[in-house]
Amino acid sequence: MEKLSVEEVKHIAHLARIAVTEEEIEKYRVSLAKLFEMIDQIHLIEGYNDDMMFSPCEEEAILRKDEIGDMLKEDEVLLNAPHKNGKFIEVPVMLNE
Amino acid sequence: MTKYEATIGIEVHVEVKSKSKFFSQAENRYGKSANSSCTVVDLGYPGTLPTVNSEVIQQGIRAAHLLHCSITKKMHFDRKNYFYPDNPKNYQITQNRTPIGTNGYVEIELNSVKKPIYIEEIHLEEDTCKSAHKGRFSLLDFNRAGVPLIEIVSKPCMHTQEEAVLYLEKLRETLFYGDISDCKIEEGSMRCDANVSIAKEGSNHLGTKCEIKNIGSIRNVGIAIQKEIERQTALLEKGETFQEQTRRFDDKLGDTVLMRVKETGNDYRYFPEPDIPFVILTEEQIKKAIETLPMGSDERRKLYLERGIHPKNVEKLLSNRTLSDYLNTYQDSDLDFVIASNLLLGDISSYLNRNFMELNDTKLTKEKFSDLISKISKGELSNQNAKDILEDVLEKELSVDEIMKERNIQNITDSSFVEKLISKVIMENEESVSDYHQGKDRAIKYLMGQVMKEAKGSINPKVANEKLIEMLNRK
Repeated sequence: MEKLSVEEVKHIAHLARIAVTEEEIEKYRVSLAKLFEMIDQIHLIEGYNDDMMFSPCEEEAILRKDEIGDMLKEDEVLLNAPHKNGKFIEVPVMLNE
Repeated sequence: MTKYEATIGIEVHVEVKSKSKFFSQAENRYGKSANSSCTVVDLGYPGTLPTVNSEVIQQGIRAAHLLHCSITKKMHFDRKNYFYPDNPKNYQITQNRTPIGTNGYVEIELNSVKKPIYIEEIHLEEDTCKSAHKGRFSLLDFNRAGVPLIEIVSKPCMHTQEEAVLYLEKLRETLFYGDISDCKIEEGSMRCDANVSIAKEGSNHLGTKCEIKNIGSIRNVGIAIQKEIERQTALLEKGETFQEQTRRFDDKLGDTVLMRVKETGNDYRYFPEPDIPFVILTEEQIKKAIETLPMGSDERRKLYLERGIHPKNVEKLLSNRTLSDYLNTYQDSDLDFVIASNLLLGDISSYLNRNFMELNDTKLTKEKFSDLISKISKGELSNQNAKDILEDVLEKELSVDEIMKERNIQNITDSSFVEKLISKVIMENEESVSDYHQGKDRAIKYLMGQVMKEAKGSINPKVANEKLIEMLNRK
């Protein structure tokens, strides 16, 4: 098994928005490589095809009628928001748009 | 001097018309009070599951058909993963591997030459929430989260801003008349991003790509592309290189400004959406979607030209859906479309604009309009008279005949009335009559002018002219 590179681990950590220490990077170089190896094993399953990965069940999707249903009340929408401003949910300004 | 050629590809997002959102039963409507149109699914609460709105799938089929795409019959959805507050699930449900439509085109016409603009794919996805920036904070409104979108990706096959603008106009017209989307750029129901690169003319590879995002109008897409072509050309001419980057169009500057340099490609780690099984389209479903399409813009154009409407007026009609729909209610009748369209685009439109009204707000019934047009067409009502009575026609619950009677307007084909007028003019203008008999051409024009003046425009000039010549020759 080949270890992941330091850059690869840093890239994955960045995508997941996780801060990692140098020690953790070394740990993940091994453990993530093991994980990817296991994922690769899926392809070895007899009769494997891409469709199995795309959908876990054989049934096709049941489509919903285009009807308006129950909606949350405005105060319910804001209930779990740490910060609000009038009717809006407030978050720190997003720069990387 | 080296010649450069631009290559342009355009991505368009349109919000799909439907009653409810794509994956939840929240209402899909623009302009509601903030955060008043959401469910837990739209807020991305853990444990909630998406349910696919059948109408959005039908709309996708319709769009794919209108844009001449091959329709994918077995589709699945994918998660596009990214962390951003506009999408608290941290992924957007989209179609990465199985877009509903592939390999389509729309046809544009530039300087009387038709050209297909090829479409790589169209796919269905959900919109994110809307954010407004206020100082150090961003304010989020989840009414837009989960609104169905169609993304249309063109091939990089355009080379000038004119082509790009025509492509967008055609796309907007097609999707608008297909009832797929409102396509209102100002309300965000149509959004355009353009990719522009410059390379030496005849070169085999494309230059460094710059993406211009969120341009606020089709006109500005043209300006943004032109500015970007100029900027990149100037850099290349100076021998400078530049990195792939994302820019935005600044309305006030009338130019593009740098947003960010792309150091690495986007890494969205797409994977199949496990909460939605395959969507399988049946032939019957595809047929039904296509059959329920309203008359499209090209069909309307063809109909109007066949019915004799001037090409300029055809375009004016197509830019006013209400009038076009109204006129179409007469497509199976023998109504004179030329007169009808002139009246609708002219006096009726100015009346409606002046009074801030819609056609539905007036007292114009289908029968009344058809009677009015028929009377003008048969010459029973002059254009001037039609103009004079129009307000009454639109405002009063009276028939055209009743209004004509009330306004004391003669039946202008009533020959005795016309003859009486002409006799009077002949009696009062002996000199001109004599000039006419001596073959002076101008005399007839003068006499005709006198007749129309006498009639105060209330008679059909063609009928009057024929009658005048007939009566002069009797002498």
